[in-house]
Amino acid sequence: MSKRLKLTDILVTIVIAIVFGLIYKISGPLYDIVKILGFQAEQLTYGIYFIAAPVAMLIIRKPGVALLAEVAAAMMEVLFAGSGGIINFYYGIIQGAFSEIIFLIFAYKKFNLPVTILSGLAAAVGSYILDYYYGDLVDLAGWNILLNVVFRFLGTIVISGFIAYFLVKALEKTGVTNLVRPASKDDYDVLNK
Amino acid sequence: MNTYWNPNQKWLARVNPSLKFLTIAAIFMIYLFVHNFNVMLVSSFAFFIFYLFCNGFSKKLSFWLVAMTFILSVFSASAMVFFGKGTHMLFEWHLITISIESMTRGLHLGLRTFVYGMLGLIFASTTEPVPFFYSVMQQLRIPPKYAYSFLAAFRLIPIMIEEYRIIRAAMKVRGMSEEKGLRAFYRRMKRYAIILLAQAIRRAQRIAVAMEAKQFSMVKKRTYYYQIGFSRYDVLFTCLILLIIIGSWIFSSYVPLTPYNNVLERSY
Amino acid sequence: MMSLTNREAFGVTDLRLVFPKEKDLFLKDLTFQYHQGEKILFLGPSGCGKSTLLQVLSGLIPNSIEIPIKTKDSRIPKRCGIIFQDPETQFCMPYVDEEIAFVLENQQVPKDDMKDLIDQYLTAVGLKLNHRHQLISTLSGGMKQRLAVASVLALKPDVLFLDEPTALLDPKGTEDLWKTVQTISKDKTLIIVEHKIDHVIDFVDRIVLFNFNGQIIADGPKELIFNQYKSELRQYGIWHPGIWEETFPEEEILKLPQEVSTDPRLILKNFRAYRGKQVKFEVSQFQINKGEWVAIVGENGAGKSTFIEGMMDLIKTKGDRIWKVKNEKDDVSFLFQNPEYQFVTDSVEEEMAFGLVIRGGEEEEIQLKVNDALRLFNLDHVRHLHPFQLSIGQKRRLSVASSIIHKPSVILLDEPTFGQDARNTFSLLRQFETMREEGTTLIMVTHEEEIVHRLATRKIRIHNGRIKSDEKTKRGMQLEGVVT
Repeated sequence: MSKRLKLTDILVTIVIAIVFGLIYKISGPLYDIVKILGFQAEQLTYGIYFIAAPVAMLIIRKPGVALLAEVAAAMMEVLFAGSGGIINFYYGIIQGAFSEIIFLIFAYKKFNLPVTILSGLAAAVGSYILDYYYGDLVDLAGWNILLNVVFRFLGTIVISGFIAYFLVKALEKTGVTNLVRPASKDDYDVLNK
Repeated sequence: MNTYWNPNQKWLARVNPSLKFLTIAAIFMIYLFVHNFNVMLVSSFAFFIFYLFCNGFSKKLSFWLVAMTFILSVFSASAMVFFGKGTHMLFEWHLITISIESMTRGLHLGLRTFVYGMLGLIFASTTEPVPFFYSVMQQLRIPPKYAYSFLAAFRLIPIMIEEYRIIRAAMKVRGMSEEKGLRAFYRRMKRYAIILLAQAIRRAQRIAVAMEAKQFSMVKKRTYYYQIGFSRYDVLFTCLILLIIIGSWIFSSYVPLTPYNNVLERSY
Repeated sequence: MMSLTNREAFGVTDLRLVFPKEKDLFLKDLTFQYHQGEKILFLGPSGCGKSTLLQVLSGLIPNSIEIPIKTKDSRIPKRCGIIFQDPETQFCMPYVDEEIAFVLENQQVPKDDMKDLIDQYLTAVGLKLNHRHQLISTLSGGMKQRLAVASVLALKPDVLFLDEPTALLDPKGTEDLWKTVQTISKDKTLIIVEHKIDHVIDFVDRIVLFNFNGQIIADGPKELIFNQYKSELRQYGIWHPGIWEETFPEEEILKLPQEVSTDPRLILKNFRAYRGKQVKFEVSQFQINKGEWVAIVGENGAGKSTFIEGMMDLIKTKGDRIWKVKNEKDDVSFLFQNPEYQFVTDSVEEEMAFGLVIRGGEEEEIQLKVNDALRLFNLDHVRHLHPFQLSIGQKRRLSVASSIIHKPSVILLDEPTFGQDARNTFSLLRQFETMREEGTTLIMVTHEEEIVHRLATRKIRIHNGRIKSDEKTKRGMQLEGVVT
């Protein structure tokens, strides 16, 4: 019942990140089209970048999973995706680390909806750190920055909060999560019945 | 060093993957703090030329990728150009306020995205996952359980793409793809996610078990089928990169192409 | 028995095992011992715990798979290798040589010795490749399984565990794999879990028979078990020689009540089906009639799936594709090879109702039909479960049931009996025959020769994306005589 990451945990985490990478690639071209308008509407879907971390964490529930999920997604971009590669690598590390911190604060004991939402929001905060240096965000008109922030946080709450949480709930019903969650003491007690 | 991967590979594929990765990661940081428009302009051009001569893609694919990177760069500039702060107005119409400042900042941003795009393409087109992960194990001391997990997980990507195709077909067969509206869209996306995730988790777990059955985790030390080292290509690569970065600085300070030496300055 | 004392003994005494979140023991006080050099076959109904026991005997449980167990005594062989069921999930590297090298690396074999060893193991399992550096994804399922054997050989195992290694292989792959196993295992201990025993039976000497509750009910020389437990073998759905003739005697089937018509159901003209930009199947003139049972056969990659997916318009096609039915969407059903892909809801019950609900119907009527179907397909006791939680057999039955609940007049099936045990296969085939007798057209891709010559009325062989032969089976010719 160790909390250290085993080979299974690592592999499953990476694979979860890949699934979201694919879903994003499949449904994502929309993002680039709305972006040209400059009205920050694309920020509503920004939360999809953060979703792998909470989903992997809610499934595996061990330290390091959120960070690893984001790094894995970023690594995939670096090796296969081409032009966004190196940018996404840094964003991945920062977002993953911020998402991870929330679960750490709750000592990896709480995996409920509010914590999930918080972890998404933390990732969003993390993404602004890079944005600050990268995109000179502060030099935008005030209303435009406001739209950006509101849209990104709103999208994050919905996508990497609610959707992530209920997706894992739905996944639990399929029984596959039992494959990766450690057995509990109750399970061992059955042996002595 | 083994030269299995691709017989027609460019010399960049022979550069040590860890060195290549760290170099490109460092360039990212350096250009994050470049605010001189002239330097950015010259560098973009130089990296573009570097990409043209050294990338590992076919001509046709290369054209489309550069075109996409260019469009992406334009997009990343648009908000700043149209809505950025500034005092020297060029154009005003309702919310749109294009000033010299917002214009140069926007273009600067676009060029930066373009430079990063070129770097990303250079790396992705000349780096195979297997030598990359062997190299990070050997040079950067990344634990094998992470490196091999990545390789094992990447094997599943084509399987997942095929799976996606089948699920889409299955939804059509069951009549699920006819439902319209946001709710139906959400239900479909959820279905995709659940099936793909469930299958992926099961497969990942089975692969991990199979790897352990082959005594992966029992050993601390291991030998390597591929020994990734350093060669003269590493020197060449490092020199070229330094030449581009330092060269573009020197060139810009002697021959400034525009008057905008610092895009962060509030007025000119 | 003689001289057992000289040989090392392995096994478990009083094994208890429980799956997480379950309240009852899955295996209770199970004892199993074996000796070096024995070749043992585990038989029993699916889900009885044979595979789980295999994982305990090999040490995977609890070292790699955390499942609570308790034993009085357990002796696990130090050097053992395991071959798993799914060819897709045994490898972690993209290339053949790299995969075997991975195992050699784990053993700390020096780099310079690796290439020779790799070639040696590949030769041992009869994998003749142009070059050892070949993509694993280009191999067939059977070749992948032999590669799995090769990479396990690199562990220099004394004991080989095989966990239904042919369940996902076609007949040719199955035969080749067992030949390979036989040649490499002369001096090794073998423990095999298998449902199809045709090829294994020649070289195992001991059979262990399990019942539904995971208890060992018989353990002894193979001749003894075969003679004394015939009815159990049938009851547990184990494929054994002669089972087809026992279940579907050729003479009897030819006597079944028949009705066939010459009404066309599907007409194809100058039809081409594409994968990407390539034409992968083409036919200039083709027709299928009401009440036919069409078996589509051919090698892997010949274009069988492309053909039926093209009929269904699931891939890009050109030419005329005319369904002579009221409404293509309602009257033509399609079953995928893996049932899980086509589940669209979160419970067995909803899944069964889905086809009726989207076609609009009265709630009460739907409920009645759903209940009937659940009973008919023996899924009543699992109606509240998530479809993914079902056993392989139940999943297949649910996918069939939910695809036919709205009574389509044509059903396309992609290897519907693949990986199923005998009991489930036969109950599905009976269901299909009933539907056919009621006038439903069945179009079925299959590798199972017995289905083709016993039940199908027409056999179409696909080769290289074209129809190589298209002929009536014995049964089909008989039926022609009684056209109404």
